[in-house]
Amino acid sequence: MNTQTSLPIRILALLAGLATLSACASNEPGCPSPQTRNLDSAISFVKTSLNTGCEAHFDRYYDDLLTIAEGDPKPENKRIFSEFLVWSGDQGLLSTRQAQEYYNRFFNVKFMSMKGDYNNCSHTCPNKQRVLFDMERELSDKERGLLKVSRDADGYYRADRLYQEVELVLEATCTACAAGR
Amino acid sequence: MNNKRPLAVTADPARRQATLGLLLAGTLLILAQSVLANTPTIRLFPTTVVEDLKQTGNVARDMETGLQEVIGRLDQQQQLFVESKCDGAENDAGCQRLSRQIGATYLEMLTIMEERLPDMEHTVNNTRISLERGLRNELGKKMTPWQLQETLVGKTTTNADTESSPTLRGRSGMRLSERFKQYYQLVATSGSRGDQSLAVLASDIYLDMEETSVLIERTRQEIARATLMEQLNQSFGIITPEMMEVVGGVKTILFGDEDPQALVAGPPPGSVEQAYRSPLEQ
Repeated sequence: MNTQTSLPIRILALLAGLATLSACASNEPGCPSPQTRNLDSAISFVKTSLNTGCEAHFDRYYDDLLTIAEGDPKPENKRIFSEFLVWSGDQGLLSTRQAQEYYNRFFNVKFMSMKGDYNNCSHTCPNKQRVLFDMERELSDKERGLLKVSRDADGYYRADRLYQEVELVLEATCTACAAGR
Repeated sequence: MNNKRPLAVTADPARRQATLGLLLAGTLLILAQSVLANTPTIRLFPTTVVEDLKQTGNVARDMETGLQEVIGRLDQQQQLFVESKCDGAENDAGCQRLSRQIGATYLEMLTIMEERLPDMEHTVNNTRISLERGLRNELGKKMTPWQLQETLVGKTTTNADTESSPTLRGRSGMRLSERFKQYYQLVATSGSRGDQSLAVLASDIYLDMEETSVLIERTRQEIARATLMEQLNQSFGIITPEMMEVVGGVKTILFGDEDPQALVAGPPPGSVEQAYRSPLEQ
């Protein structure tokens, strides 16, 4: 009886607690986004922030840096981002795999969504739709990294073509795999 | 015993270095050649596929030749039927005679198709089965998704490679025999292409064979049904809209669409600067 009457109060308290937590995460005063439009200055700012307790905000900072780089797109931005990610790995903020994922997802023609240790018939074909969906999302990140940040139109168009080729080849290969069962 | 070694070059350090350099270069050359020779290549086009494609092209051409005259005649009769305002005038004796003539030509077309389709079906299925085996083993079972992607990307991709790579699917507007001729030419000259083009080409042809195979099977069923229906219609002299639809379909498959293909503009030329290669790149 007593538990029944206190249940709504408990739910309210839980919701209030969650609201407070989320407010803390989004408006943490010590971890603001870089305000400068200069990529080098922004990276220096982000490095300092990441070294002073804001490492949990790595994703947001990376996104901020990409947005800033979009304002001044040039091929050498690839190197700047690569060096930033290598630095993040050296600082222990990212594992090597994470650093590779962050770099290749945005700046490489090849798709990280196509990673896998098993053969296509047994692993890729049963998950073909999910793989293609992940590739499509990755392609929009490549558009940002290759085209909008690095001004590498050739690279982006090659990635786009690669996506179409993978779609075609997987369709044929998976049909052939299914026919062999 | 004469221990003199007149061919020895040890006395001259410069010559020795030059000889060593030559030996080293030779060894490297042989090593490079053996590495190239041992580079795994995917076997997607055995000789049988090439022959099957050629054979299918010939069968398709024979079918087109046989049908062209009949379809031309059907078009003329249909035009005459429309010009004579026979549509809706089924009781007119002249129109009835015209309808029966159209029906007879239609039956002739169905008979030609019925005779030629089994050969077509046979060669298309042979090609499909060979390609299916190749795709399943070479790309499906021997490769991980990452290896497949690396095969498609190739070691070095130049603009020339992109330009010479085969066109992707969607070949409506092309005669069937022309399509197979093009396939045959692409496959026959595939030795000069990289594995990345071969994988795409094999997939493209295989999926097309799949569709063609299903289409031929359906067409054969449909011909049997349509022949029976038309034999009945001959007694009454009726032209069904379905007849005209079948003729239209046959024309599209064999001789291609009339609709022009939309041309898609290519990407703008990219930066010619040397691409940066990150140590993180995979």
